[in-house]
Amino acid sequence: MTREGVFKELTEIFWDVFDDEDIELTDETTADDIEDWDSLEQINLVVACEKKFNIKFDMKEIQSLKNVGEMVDTILSKVQ
Amino acid sequence: MNNYTFDELKVGMTESFDVTITAEMLDAFKGITGDVNPLHNDEKFAESKGHPGRVAYGMLTASFLSTLAGVYIPGERSLIQQVETKFASPVYIGDALTVKGEIVELIDSVQRLTLKVTITNQNGKKVLRGKMEILVV
Repeated sequence: MTREGVFKELTEIFWDVFDDEDIELTDETTADDIEDWDSLEQINLVVACEKKFNIKFDMKEIQSLKNVGEMVDTILSKVQ
Repeated sequence: MNNYTFDELKVGMTESFDVTITAEMLDAFKGITGDVNPLHNDEKFAESKGHPGRVAYGMLTASFLSTLAGVYIPGERSLIQQVETKFASPVYIGDALTVKGEIVELIDSVQRLTLKVTITNQNGKKVLRGKMEILVV
């Protein structure tokens, strides 16, 4: 899977979790940029990613993610 | 009170308890929430709407899901994140309810379980069904 492919799938996950198709992600997008991105939705994002990409995160990885770009790269490293 | 750790939980595990709805519960719920809707508080009004008596608040019935998670499964380590419920049938004073939860999913990375929940009355009829997402902390 390409980085662009992961990015596209991740964008759709964000749309679904936040019920908002106007969300536009960049590598630099953080929780500060999306109003409802709180600790609950962070967990929902992680669970949705695990199911969509058929991968598993560990707690340290989740806590270390700083922005969408790091999220994409972490997913990419697991699906390849 | 149960105190399951995440590692002790398995998909398919169930817990349940019984509770009987009383007029005092409805009155206490009214006092807490301020919901004075006559369907729950005026017997004649409820009868005029085709019910045999005062209808229990749906949210009162749903409140037992808090007990299910916080006391039974997983118990002490419970942190409820999300609850989805459907109120399938009305509940009346005197109804003997069975509140049941079954683990249908465990997510290791975030230590979260998904509980399928049902509440049935003394006739075996489902009065509530739904789903809970609960962190085990």
